[in-house]
Amino acid sequence: MIRQVVTDVLLALAVLTVAASAIGVAVMPDAYSRLHYVTPAAVVAPVLVALAVLVTEGLDENTGETVLALVFMMAAAPFLSHATIRAIRVREAGDWRGRPPGEDQPGGQPGDQPGDQPSDDAPARRSR
Amino acid sequence: MTSFVIAAVAMLVALVPAGITLARGTLADAVIGFQFITSVAVLVFALLAEGFRRPSLFEFPVLVALLLFGSGLVFVRALERWL
Repeated sequence: MIRQVVTDVLLALAVLTVAASAIGVAVMPDAYSRLHYVTPAAVVAPVLVALAVLVTEGLDENTGETVLALVFMMAAAPFLSHATIRAIRVREAGDWRGRPPGEDQPGGQPGDQPGDQPSDDAPARRSR
Repeated sequence: MTSFVIAAVAMLVALVPAGITLARGTLADAVIGFQFITSVAVLVFALLAEGFRRPSLFEFPVLVALLLFGSGLVFVRALERWL
């Protein structure tokens, strides 16, 4: 009975975490803000689900495989978040570092300002 | 219907806002929506395997979690270079 209650509480917390993250992904104004809300669903909710399986099943093969999936997700989440932010930055600014030092001074190269169109002979700034 | 199955269905319902973001947002928003949905899909598969008492199905969320990393990097790289 107590195990069932603890399992239900853990699962409810996991569902609430995912629901709150889904709302955050939907309502945030830009991609940078939306990405913050992927992390709880990829890190916190798997921990709660793995704990719920552990409470129900004890230490067995099912719990081990759930924990293995959890480990993969927790290892991948920070790398994916970093790579996604970098990709969005490259798309917006041409380079993940943004504007190099000195180019924001008056008299900079065409294409430095957001509204400028880069000329054909402008150096390639896209980081590969 | 066990609490695991109910939680899985609730998580599937919670995917709707992320699906709308994926369908209607910019390319960057779509990639973020994809990452969110795949993360939740791993949880849903694990919950269903436990809810229906099918131990063999627990291998599927492990595989999806592993593929989540590779597929996410592929989409991010495509977003950065080609899209």
